Amino acid sequence: MEKPTLITNGKRLDGRDQNTLRPIKISVNPVKNAAGSAYIEWGNNKIVSAVYGPREALPKHTQDPDKAVIKCRYTMAPFSSLEEHGRPGMNRRAIEISKVTKEVFENVILRDLFPGNEISIFVEVLQSDGGTRAAGITCASVALAASGIPMRDMPYAVSVGKAEDTLILDLDKIEDNYSSADMPIAINPRTQEINLLQMDGELTPDDVHRGIEMVIKAGEVITKAQREALLAPYEMTSEKYKASI
Amino acid sequence: MNVTTLTDQYLRERLSKGTRDDGRDLFSFRNISIEIGKIPHAEGSAEVTFGNTKVLAGIKLDVGEPMRDKPDEGSMMTGAELLPLAHHTFDSGPPSPDAVELARVVDRGIRAANMIDVKKLFIEEGKSWNVFVDLYILNYDGNLFDSSALAAAAALYNARMPKYEEGKVVREGELGKLPIGNLSTSCTYAKIGNSILLDTNASEEIFADARITIANDEQFVRAMQKGLSGAFKAGEVDMLVEKTFEKSKDLRKMVQSTRGE
Amino acid sequence: MRRLVLPGDIIAEKPLRLDHTIVEEGKTCSTVIGIFDEEKNSFIPLEGLWYPTPGEKIIGIVEEAKLNTDLIDINAPYKGLIISKFSETSLAGGDIIEATVKELDKTGTIILSRPRVLFGGKVLVIKPSKVPRLLGKQDTMIRQIIEKTKSSISVGMNGLVWIKGGDSDMATKAILRIQDESHVPGLTERISQMLEGKE
Repeated sequence: MEKPTLITNGKRLDGRDQNTLRPIKISVNPVKNAAGSAYIEWGNNKIVSAVYGPREALPKHTQDPDKAVIKCRYTMAPFSSLEEHGRPGMNRRAIEISKVTKEVFENVILRDLFPGNEISIFVEVLQSDGGTRAAGITCASVALAASGIPMRDMPYAVSVGKAEDTLILDLDKIEDNYSSADMPIAINPRTQEINLLQMDGELTPDDVHRGIEMVIKAGEVITKAQREALLAPYEMTSEKYKASI
Repeated sequence: MNVTTLTDQYLRERLSKGTRDDGRDLFSFRNISIEIGKIPHAEGSAEVTFGNTKVLAGIKLDVGEPMRDKPDEGSMMTGAELLPLAHHTFDSGPPSPDAVELARVVDRGIRAANMIDVKKLFIEEGKSWNVFVDLYILNYDGNLFDSSALAAAAALYNARMPKYEEGKVVREGELGKLPIGNLSTSCTYAKIGNSILLDTNASEEIFADARITIANDEQFVRAMQKGLSGAFKAGEVDMLVEKTFEKSKDLRKMVQSTRGE
Repeated sequence: MRRLVLPGDIIAEKPLRLDHTIVEEGKTCSTVIGIFDEEKNSFIPLEGLWYPTPGEKIIGIVEEAKLNTDLIDINAPYKGLIISKFSETSLAGGDIIEATVKELDKTGTIILSRPRVLFGGKVLVIKPSKVPRLLGKQDTMIRQIIEKTKSSISVGMNGLVWIKGGDSDMATKAILRIQDESHVPGLTERISQMLEGKE
């Protein structure tokens, strides 16, 4: 396929402008067996994440006597893309994404509370359309909060990239394939610390600076979706709570 | 830990009275739901729940070489993933024997009933459509066989048929339906002590001595599999085959209704 | 004023000593979903794990019975341990037991004492954060269920509930409903209606 023009008169192929996210919808606890779980639809991405633990870390040599170890598994369903059938399970890309996702949550989970234990985070991409690692982190964050595993912050992630000399937020699959740069970022919203940062392509120092700003700005919308999902089970009563005291 | 842990004594007492912990009688299914088209990127998809068991089936079609022994037909392959997110005992890593058995039993039900009309999947000499059926277990609460078979049937029944034009696969736009032959579903029974029950949940399944899966279409038994270390008597198998023809009517109706039939 | 807060939310601009919160840069933040009551200076977690305290009653399932120690699955980050020489009850794998938390050792293992085997019945797992609601003030809620259903019920602080006999189906329904609706006002009334068969 020839490279399509990704931006025309300030509009992207799907009609968004440079700063607009795709629609995000999150729900909690679709996986009944897990300690906590969440389902996210982010544009055409559909991802389920579930958390198990804290539980005894096995095999034993993976245990850390001082704190919980975090294990993460990100995989893509073989039917998740609009193209040909994929291979199930882990490939090199999935192994790397699992690792950086794990590190995001190592940063926020209060691991000292559970020495010798493991906390397992699973991210299953059921349908993919670009930006699945960011959507997966955003979703896993909600699954962890739903499980009651203590965290010092609730990360979100989104990608920023560059096309036709313009920085664009939240790249979909076509943009991801043909953009000149892609930079997925995860943020701890309370502290605004950068918790994941990857990049490939071609960006000026100023692009990097402005790209990070765009991602921090986007946090308002993404964390709102996360919070609404977590509060939904309690929502109808939050007003009554105040009334009842 | 499962949400409910039954003791042997409790379970046997209940079964001897012909009732179960969740209020069902011995030959009732749990509430079953089917959601079609959850994954629009796949040619076909269906999410099926049996109580808290949740299975997502996805169908993909690619162009490939026909099998050597069937040069004028398309082919089909079934895979099953017992995702570690679905239960605390499911491991990451290569497919377990349980996952392989599940995929093969579901595969046989589809294949033997000619659920996919593979003759219509021939393209040209050396080229045919390969159908991939992938079963994704999203939450385990027993009876993966029947829930997976139903998810596969519903996903196939509603799958799009991509086109092959000028050496390229066209997956979007005006497309027809995947050619379907007979609709096949399955019923799986467990034997616990002297009782036989349909559609066990996870807390019952632990106590199963023997298990039997019977897949059928409207006319014929199409595939069977006995599992676990216990055994069935010939008379029990006869009874269960008969039961399966009775029970499967509703299952087929549920699949047909997803196409408004 | 009470407010619903999420992990990472700042609940006070000054350091407070409260469970389920942390202090960073002089500010107090929640670490789980919960309700923060500013006037009472209290934090009630709505989702969360069980943190054992000595003296608490638990329900567990014997995972492995050994010569000197018994390993107990108590559905928590750590295994429960019963040291046989301090106990006269002999246990077998699969037994359901009621026991008391004696102490937490340095490795995080939970030492249990006074085990009692519960024969038959079944065990329901609920969220540990909902156990106080299931018990009710001075155990009123659970007593109501036992009285109306005539079931034997033992509630572990770890979220395991043993049920045997009586109308155990009704007891199960009531317990699961308390778990699901613990935060909705008027729960006691609804449960008693349910137990009276008025729903």
